[in-house]
This record gives sequence, C-alpha cells and structure tokens, in this order.
Amino acid sequence: MYGWLWRRLPGGPAARLAQLMLLIVLVGLLLWYVVYPWASLHLPFDQSGLG
Amino acid sequence: MRLCLRVSGELLSTLGVVVLGFLAYMYWGTAVRASAAQQVFARELASEWSGGSELAALTGPGDVSLGKPFALLRIPQLGSSWQFAVVQGTGLSQLALGPGHEPGTALPGQVGNFVVAGHRVTGGNPFWRLPSLHEGSLIIVETINASYEYKITGRPRSVPADDTAVTAPVPYHPGERARLSMITLITCDPAWSGTSRVVVTGVLLRALPRQQGS
Repeated sequence: MYGWLWRRLPGGPAARLAQLMLLIVLVGLLLWYVVYPWASLHLPFDQSGLG
Repeated sequence: MRLCLRVSGELLSTLGVVVLGFLAYMYWGTAVRASAAQQVFARELASEWSGGSELAALTGPGDVSLGKPFALLRIPQLGSSWQFAVVQGTGLSQLALGPGHEPGTALPGQVGNFVVAGHRVTGGNPFWRLPSLHEGSLIIVETINASYEYKITGRPRSVPADDTAVTAPVPYHPGERARLSMITLITCDPAWSGTSRVVVTGVLLRALPRQQGS
C-alpha cells in the first residue's frame, strides 16, 4: 500500500518524502477536526449521565 | 500471498494509529473546548459574585438555569489547581463542558443530596481521578452564598449505571426523609466505558463565608 503510493509519487526521494509528510499531516488534521469529533458523538464512550 | 499479507499488515497498523489518535483526541482534544468554556464560566461566576449589593442568593431550583454555571468545585486531594465550575444539567452537552448538577437534587448546602455527574474521560476529564479519593478527604463547593466543606464518608463505590438510589435525598436509601446535607459525585467506571458508575459520597461539615476575591 505504502510502497505503491511511494512509486506513484513524482520527483526524487526528497520530493516524495515531502509529499508524503504533507499527506500525513492533511490526513491527521482531517481526523482530528472532522472525523474524531463526529465519532466521539456517535460512539458509546463515557456516557456519564445518570440512569 | 506475500503481497496480501503485507497490504493487510499495513492496513492494520494504520488502523492502530488511527485508533490511538482517537483515544488521544478523547483525552486531550475534547479538553481544549472544555477548558475554554471553564475559563469563561469562572469569569462569569467571579463577576456575578462581586456584584456588590445586588447579590442574588441561591435559594431554590429557580435560581439555576440549564447549562449555566453556579458553583465552583474543589477537591484539595487532587491538587490546588484542580477546580471546575459546575453547570446545571447532566445532559451530554452540559457534561462536555464540565461537571453538571443533576436537576431536582439539592443545591449546595441544602438538606438533601447535591448530585454532580462528570466525565471520567472527555470534556476536560474532570473526574478522571475520582476513584482515587480517600475517605475523609474534603470536597469544597463554593456558591454565591457560601463556601461549603463536605467530608467524604466512604471509599468510592461502583454501582450499576441504572442505579438511581445513589441520587436519592438520603444516598442509597430512596424514600427516606433527608436530615443531612450530602454531596454525591458520579462518573463512569471503568474509564472509557458506560457500563457502571463510580460514586463518591460526602456529608456537609460546615459552611464558611466565601473568601473575597477568590
């Protein structure tokens, strides 16, 4: 999977590494600000109310 | 075959990182919003309480409104920086910002049971260390009226999530007539789960005049 991605990215090793980092940061931001907040409301974690 | 194994290995490790990230978000991410709200609450209370002659005392359920802070909770055993504003209501939207007072139960200092629920994880993790409280530790609740000192009367107890007897005017004895002022703090047990609750109960020792400027 990651090998396939590595071969698909254009440029030399340095450019590929930079792109990969950018991609990881973007995915991380998407998870932290969109996916996790949504999931925290819909998964049954710590529903501390009463009864 | 080897390709298949490698791809599934990569997928599973990625999934592991995503799940770890989610746990980190629950612990730290949700606390960001809660701590911002807590700062606003603390400022609101400070300005309300320094209102001079037009102080509105807290006497009945009509004096607190849903989602609004009305008390400061301190537990010296958890450190001097441990302080949360208590809001009215125990819905998820209230608990997301801090501990909440169960509507219909007593107000601080009143005869009956002042019941406060809070998240163990998320929303600033207010009750993360609730199970570590000792018998005899103090719980201090400050309102516009006074500073109330409660003493914890037993070890934290684990009860089923649907056990409402802990919120009765006399905790664990529903139907009995209250003579004492009690406090009950409730959170999830085990952490991250909603299967049961851990409960700490205390009794009012004394009410002190609120310290000015605190």
